[in-house]
Formats: sequence, structure tokens, C-alpha cells
Amino acid sequence: MTSRRERFERAWRRFWRPPRRLRTTPAGRTYLVLTFGVGLGALNTGNNLLYLVLGLQLSIVVVSGILSERCVRRVRVRRLLPAAPRARSPFYLAWGLRLEKGQAFALSVAEVHPILGTAVGRLTWLPSGDEVVVRAVATAPRRGPLSLQAIRISTSFPFGLFVKSRDLDLPGELLVLPGRVPPPPEPPSPGSGLGLEQRSLRGLDGGGDLAQLRELREGEDARRIHWRKSAQLGTLLRVERDAQPQPRIVLQLDDRAPAEALDGACEELAARAELLLARGAEVGLESTGGLRVKPSAGAFHSQVILRALARAGHDEAPR
Amino acid sequence: MNPQRLRLVLRDLAAGAAFGGMAISGQVPLWTMALFIVALAVAVTGRRPLADGRLSAVALLVAVVVLYAAVMVEQMDLVVAACTTASLLTAQRMLSRPTGRTTDQVHLASLLMIAGGAVLSADLLFALCLFLYAVLAVLSQGLSVMAEAGGGAFPPLGRVLRPLAVGVALSMVGALAFFVLFPRLSWNVAARRSGPSLGPATTGFADGLRLGGTGLLKSNPRVVFRARIDPDPGTEQLDAYWVGRRFDVFDGVQWSSAGRSGAPVRQVVLGPGEPDLLRQQIDLLPAYGSRTLVALDTPVIFGDAESHQSTFSGRTELVPSGDREVRLVGPSEHLTYRAFSAPDRGAARAADEAERTRRLQLPPRLDRRIPALAKTLSEGAVGDRAIARQLERALQSGYAYTLELPGRAKDPLADFLFDRRAGHCEDFATALAVLLRARQIPARVVVGFHGGERAAGEYLVRAGDAHAWVEAEVDGHVLRLDATPPQHRSAAGSGVTGWLLARWEALQIRWLDRVVEYSLSDQARLARRIHWETGESRPSPAARKPDGSVAVALGILGTALVIAALLGRRAAAGEARELGRTLHRLLRRRGRLGPDGWLDGARVEEAELAPVREGIARYREARFGRRPLGPGEGRRLVRQARQALRAAPSPSVPGTSPPTSRA
Repeated sequence: MTSRRERFERAWRRFWRPPRRLRTTPAGRTYLVLTFGVGLGALNTGNNLLYLVLGLQLSIVVVSGILSERCVRRVRVRRLLPAAPRARSPFYLAWGLRLEKGQAFALSVAEVHPILGTAVGRLTWLPSGDEVVVRAVATAPRRGPLSLQAIRISTSFPFGLFVKSRDLDLPGELLVLPGRVPPPPEPPSPGSGLGLEQRSLRGLDGGGDLAQLRELREGEDARRIHWRKSAQLGTLLRVERDAQPQPRIVLQLDDRAPAEALDGACEELAARAELLLARGAEVGLESTGGLRVKPSAGAFHSQVILRALARAGHDEAPR
Repeated sequence: MNPQRLRLVLRDLAAGAAFGGMAISGQVPLWTMALFIVALAVAVTGRRPLADGRLSAVALLVAVVVLYAAVMVEQMDLVVAACTTASLLTAQRMLSRPTGRTTDQVHLASLLMIAGGAVLSADLLFALCLFLYAVLAVLSQGLSVMAEAGGGAFPPLGRVLRPLAVGVALSMVGALAFFVLFPRLSWNVAARRSGPSLGPATTGFADGLRLGGTGLLKSNPRVVFRARIDPDPGTEQLDAYWVGRRFDVFDGVQWSSAGRSGAPVRQVVLGPGEPDLLRQQIDLLPAYGSRTLVALDTPVIFGDAESHQSTFSGRTELVPSGDREVRLVGPSEHLTYRAFSAPDRGAARAADEAERTRRLQLPPRLDRRIPALAKTLSEGAVGDRAIARQLERALQSGYAYTLELPGRAKDPLADFLFDRRAGHCEDFATALAVLLRARQIPARVVVGFHGGERAAGEYLVRAGDAHAWVEAEVDGHVLRLDATPPQHRSAAGSGVTGWLLARWEALQIRWLDRVVEYSLSDQARLARRIHWETGESRPSPAARKPDGSVAVALGILGTALVIAALLGRRAAAGEARELGRTLHRLLRRRGRLGPDGWLDGARVEEAELAPVREGIARYREARFGRRPLGPGEGRRLVRQARQALRAAPSPSVPGTSPPTSRA
């Protein structure tokens, strides 16, 4: 029932939203004032040549609308979001623009978003055929998911009097990771909300000392084969090593803290997690709100931790 | 040309066209014209000496203050001052550092100049300037927007020009549609008419007619008045005399009139009304330059005069003056009136004794050979009418027509009759009048115009149609006599120049009628023609005649759109052709073209020649497959093909003859 209502509200809003937006440039404003003046002069004097000039001026306004519409009407846009944008650090927003037919001039592309909307990509000419990628530098002040609804294509072509915009509905999300801060030098203390646990296990594929050789079973990784011994014995033997002693750290986060404090804590934890992961530690994350990331190591896990930290506190009310 | 440079040149030329639209009114001060032309010339060459602009802005401010001070003390018209200000502002901005802002300012100031031109001028040249301004400004502004957009390479010019050309065509059509359809509901608070256009007025009927002058006026093609005659004579070239002034006192060198001026009246009646009078609606154009009214011979009634000044229009009064001359009370730039003339039957009211005496009076120091000549030339003729006709014929056949009269003779009449034996209409008319008087026939000289060319249902009379002839009193009737050879009575326009002038005048008349004087009643007439009026039965489709002007407008629109489309397609095809030509040249030098000399038969099968094959494939797609080349793609393909051909060994098949044709 709720989803039906939401759909209806969305459709209602879309129905009432103007299909195009028109903004007057400073030169356009002066032009309109002059047009008004010429119109007044024509009515006052009955001078037919002033009517002719007025007709030309008004036609130029109409033609401006027609030609700008031809520019923005057929443009197809694909959003090319950055993989790991960090808060307060500039990153590239990119859009792939494509035209099946015709050509478009003096285009600008931006997200319809209060924060990212200030980053505008510009393109002088878009011919039909291949996709053209337009980029713009953006900066997000805070971490968290940014809900993207639409992309705005604008053009001031042909006369620079008006800027016509068309919004293309393209829902999406840009997850801004916590900003970069220097990692704290001291280890986490129990009172800081960060936990530290270390364990040593004998694993099968560890990076430690040689433990034993045994026959390779079906499906096992062939890279573990000890080729010299296998050649001597005539059967495939694989190496088993002791697991290396790796620290396992579970970071604790209080995600019920006020927003600014939470942002600071997330950035600090992100910095710490990146440092620990770079040293080979297994890092996990737990929060008071129920967020839980199992400890693991590696570059990919770094992204998992950072993404979890970026979403912390935003689950219920995404921005 | 570099697009950046091109857009500035177009911008400056658009400003020049806008200034031209204003300058043709002839009301812009000469110093402003000189200043603007110099600024335009400097700007078009790409130099911007006022890059800083502060000092020039101060100078501009001072000039504006001076201009409006001149307006305050009534030394200058407010509209002219505003136009001058716009010109100076445009010139200053043109010579400043070219930025997006200055470009916008130049365009907007040019728009002001065009509006000023619309107020000051009603000439057809204004339409030309407006058209040029619109085309150049649209192209320039389009290129400016592209240049300022940033991001990516600038497209080939042909690609941009196509939509802009469409924009120009649509703007023109829209302007015409608005002009035709927008209701003419004017408040007429500050109505203003056009000025005298280029150059001073030409006719200038003086108070007297002095012999010995050159006939420069005869070759002047400017139209000085136009007339609609009812009933319409229907002929292309009117053989009629338009009477202006009559002179009956001759002192040997100069003719003058002895009559006195009367009281100003709305209507001047010179003779009895008759049922078959010729009705004329006459429009004395600003080039006319005289207060004397003209009408077909013999004028009977003048009335309904309306004077159009630069700041107002209104009814005006007329004054009967001199010998049946009618003059305007005050000066007027542009006058319309009605006149009625009696058909030319040679009848006239009888002159009183004083008039008859004046018309018989000979100059006191008349050359003694002249009476003898009069006798000689009229020998054998019996009766006044026959004598008059014989004298007329004798002068026509025995004397040559010339406009070249160098030097100044002491007795111009004797010089014409006995020494030079050549002259223009004033000499012929004077000689005939004096010879008639010598034979005791009362005669006087009349000045006015002869002829008229038909254009758009009206007759145009040029300054060169100015003429002089003689009226003699014979047997109680007025006999018009013209001693000037017939082929030299009207303006001397012939050949291509004459044809062009006639076409131009016809256009000018149409322009004045259908654009400058377009009114609410014309709109109502148009609505009736296309059956918009309620209650009017629509005729059957078969009975409905197509409207010629609509067809012309649709034709112009269609042609403009086709040209725009062709321009764009040609530009796109041009890049592909260039690629094809270059590839063809490269392959020919390497001897890799097929025996037919076509790209299709090129021997580029080797693996290392893949870029060449790609180039040929892209050429085909771009040229014939409607997949145009991207920006810089042609250059890249050529570069790659050239490198590949250099690296590849020469083909093994020798003896291939050089190709003579291309793909």
C-alpha cells in the first residue's frame, strides 16, 4: 500500500515538474529589457519598422527555444561514478553522453543534487555516434550515501540569452567514504571504544614455516605443489605451512553519537583500519547499532570496512 | 579562419550593418560616421587599441554629456542623440579587449542602433541592413556561445553553421509573421516619420529660372515623388507633363514670376470642376526638397495635404502663389496631397491685359538677330498656331541637346541660338518663348517634370525628369509647346543601370506600401482575403485563388531551409571528401591504387596497412553512410595511414599506371 502511494506521489510530482527549465542569462535579461523597450516604442509611435525589429527580436527568443530543445532532447546520459570518493577530497564525477542522431552544442552536465550539483561538466560539441565522456571535479563535505535522482543537461546554445535544462531521471547512489585523517599514533585503549584481540592458529595455507607435505587432493590449488619432492616420489605432493600470527582487531563504533562526532569517529576508525590492514592485520567492525563486519584482511576488505563506516548512522535516513 | 577570430569579425560586421541601418537616414552626424567607420576598420583588422578602456570610457561619458546638452538646447534631436550614443558605445566596446561581456555589449548596442535606424529611416536599404545585421549577429553570437562553452574541441565550422542558418531562416520567417499578424493598435504618442534619407533634397524649385547652368539634375535617378492616377493610364512610361511653376517675366538671363501669394487655405481651386477630372494622389518624397506642389497638366484643384515631419504628422494648408502655382505653407520633409487636373485639351482661361503684356514682353537688351531668326524660322506659316508649331519643330530639328555647357556666356540665349546651337530643356524653352514673343504670340515658360515610370500601380518621377516647356496663348487657348527633342525630355536612364534602377524603385515602392505604411486596414484586408471574417461564405476550393504573397513567403522559407540543409550536409561531406582526397593522394604516390584509380581497388591487403583500410572504410561511411567524421578524426586517420604506408614496403606489382580519377 505504501509503495503504491509512493509511486503515485512520485508520478504526481513528475507530472507537475516542468519538462524543461529556462534560466535567463545576464545578456538575456538585457535583451528582454531592450525587446520590451522596442515593443513600447512600436506601440507608441506606430512605426512599422519598429514592429519589424520587435518581430525579429521575439522570433530570436522563439528560435533560441527551438534550437536549444534540439540540443538537449535526444541526449542519452550514463552516469560514471567514482569507485571510492572520500569526503572533503576532490573526485571526478563523469557522465557518458551519446546522441543517436543530430548534434548538440555548448552542453553542460550536472547532477540534480544540492551538493554535487555544483560540479558541472562542459562539452562544446556532441556529434552523433560514439559516446563522449564529460568530467567534473566535485567535493563532498561529509561521508555517507548521496542519493542521486536525475542528471541535468543544459545548453546556452544558440544565442546565450537563455540556458535551457532538461532533467533526466536516473536514480543512483554515490557512497562517499569517510574523509582522510592521519591515523592516531597510539594503540586503541579500552575506553576509546576500540577492541583489540590477537590469536595464533595453525592454518592450512598460512604464510609461516613449513609444517608438512601431503598428497594433493582433487580440487586443491596446484600452486601449493612441491614440485621437486613430487618428481622424486612420482606423485603430487602439496606443501602445508603454519599460519602466520596475524593480529585480529575488531573496531568498535558508537553509531548513536551526534552526527559530527560520529563523522569524526568514522574517519578516525577508517584511518586506523587502513593502517592496520596495510600492516597485514585482520580488521573487523562492530557498532552499537548492530553493524557488524567480520574480521578479515586485504585491500578488498579495506573497502568493505570503509563502506560500512560510510553508511554508519545513515541507514534510516539516507541523504 | 580561426573560429575565435571569425566570431569577432562577424560581430564587428554586424555592428557595421546596424550602424548602416541608422546612417542611411542621413541624420547621424558626420563626425560620428567617420569615427565609427574608423573604429570598424580597426576592429575588423583584429586590433584592439582600447584594451584598457578606462580613458575611452571617460571620453565616452563626456561625449554623452555633450550630446544630451545639445538636446537640451535643441541643437540635436533626442533620437539622433540616442543613436549617436549607441554608435559611440559600440565603437568603444568593439575596440576593447574581446571578452564574452564585451561581445554581449556590442550585440546589445548594435540592437539599439538597429532600433534607432528603424525610427530614423524608412528606406529599403534599412531592410538590407536589418537582414545583414540579423544574419551576422546570429552567426557571431552562436560562435561566441560555442567558444565560451569550454570542454572538448571546437566542431568544424560547417557543423555549427547549419543550425545557425536554420536559426536565421526561422527568425526571418517569424519576424515576418509577427509583422503581418500583430494588430496595429498604436497609441501614436510619439509618432515619427523618416528623414530625407541619403543626401540632400534635389529638386529645389527656385524663385527664378536662370539660364547658363549645367544640366546635372537630368542624370539624377532619385525618385522625388510618386503618384497614383485615377483613372489609371495603364502605360508603363507616362507621356505627361507635371506642372510646377510658370514664369512670364524674362530679363535676358533669368525668368521670374510676377504673381503674388494668396491666403493659406486647405484647398486651392484653380479652375472650374469638371466631371472627368484626373484624380492624383501624390506623395512628395523627402528627396523632393521644394514647397511647390506639382500636378498633371492642367491642375484644377489641390487639397487634403498632409505634412509628415520627423516628429509629427498633420494636415497642412496651401498657398496659391505666382501664376497658378500652389505652395506649401511651411517646410515639410514629406508631403502627401490630392490634386485634380483637367484633361489636356489646350483650353484655358483668357488672360487679362496685364498678363498678356507680360507674356509679350521681350528683354530690353535682346540680341537683334533673334527677331530676324523668328521670322526666318516661321516663314511660310499662316496663323499663330501654325507659326508656333513651326518654331517648335525648327528648334527640335535644328538644335542639339546637351547637358555639357562649360563656361558662362554673357547672353546665354544668343549663345544657344547662334553660337553653340546646343543646350538643354531650359535653353530650348526660353528660346521658343522669346521667338514666340518676337512674333507677337504671348508665351511663358513652365517648369515641372515630364514622364513617369510605372511601378506597383503607381508612377515614379525622378529628379532627372525635371523639365521646362512653353505655354503659348493662341486664339484664346493655351497651347503647350515643347521644343526639346522628345527623346531628351525625361530622365537619362538606360541600359542595365536603368533597368536596375527601375527594379530597385519598384522594390522601394513595395517596401513603402507593404511594410512602412502597413496598417490595421491592410490587416483587415488580408483577413478578408483569407476568409477569416465571420459570416462570409467560403468559396469553393476551385473558386479560391491562391495568394501570391503566401506562395512567395512559403517559397522563401522552403529555399532557406533547403539551403541551410545543403550547407550543413555539404560541410559534413566536405570533411569526408577531404579525407578521401588525401588518402587517394597518399596511395597514388605509393603506387597502391588499383588500375581504375579508385580507392575501392587499392592494394592494401598487408597486415601493417590496417590503418589505411580503416581510413578508407571510414571515408566510405562518412561520405555515403551518414556516419560523419568526429572532430579531428580525419586528421588522425590520415596520420595513421601515412605512417603505415611509410613503414610498408613498395607493392610488388609494377607497371600500374597513375590514376586519373578518384573514388
